[in-house]
Amino acid sequence: MATVLIGVVREMLQKAPAPRNVFVPFRLGQIFGEPGADVQQRAVLMDALTAFAHPSAPGAIVDLPYRWKRSVYRDPLGQT
Amino acid sequence: MGRGWNQLLSWIYTRVPALSRRYAAGLDAVAGAVPWTPARVPLEHATVALVTLAGVHLRGQPAFDMQNANGDASFRVIPRTVSPADLAITHDYYDHAAADRDVNVVFPLERLRELAAAGRIGRVAPRHVGAMGHILDREERRLVAESAPAIARLLKEDGVDYVVLSPG
Repeated sequence: MATVLIGVVREMLQKAPAPRNVFVPFRLGQIFGEPGADVQQRAVLMDALTAFAHPSAPGAIVDLPYRWKRSVYRDPLGQT
Repeated sequence: MGRGWNQLLSWIYTRVPALSRRYAAGLDAVAGAVPWTPARVPLEHATVALVTLAGVHLRGQPAFDMQNANGDASFRVIPRTVSPADLAITHDYYDHAAADRDVNVVFPLERLRELAAAGRIGRVAPRHVGAMGHILDREERRLVAESAPAIARLLKEDGVDYVVLSPG
């Protein structure tokens, strides 16, 4: 059973890393995005899951490039 | 300090991210090697579970204990089929106003079900876990000795391949 930790405080991921870590620069309490923003939430969740599909090292952090509402989110349901 | 004070601090921390970064910078790093389990199952065949530390629980379950200054290291099991309307959040240590409007911003179970329906993951695990962050001292020891192993056991029983862990 493999684990990915997604967080919004990068320093916290550095201090207490999980095996796989994903940093998203959002607010506390809105890790996966904005209320009602289904595409944004799906995209962030899928990005966290994608950490299982790529080679990594214990404690490594993937930085997601999003900038809240200023980013364009690709819906994972629309991709094959 | 009372719950109102904690809630006020949470409101401020949510709006001033530098405070959280400064708090984290002052923490000791967790000692020891980071554990590792290889990811052997393709996502489209994997069973996925969510473990949230955002204080999410079923409305019918006991709320997390907000009177204990060390937090509450217990956890709640949340079934795969739950409706968001049946979920509540008890957690004074982050501002969950947004999550109260749409729980998926901290516990995206609906989004996970959509990914499974579309074939992006294999299946949604039958059981997910709600717990809380801000666990200190005696409660931290209980988390490490009792709750975390119990959570791992139940997820393993369900054949979970991958876990997405998220704070509040």
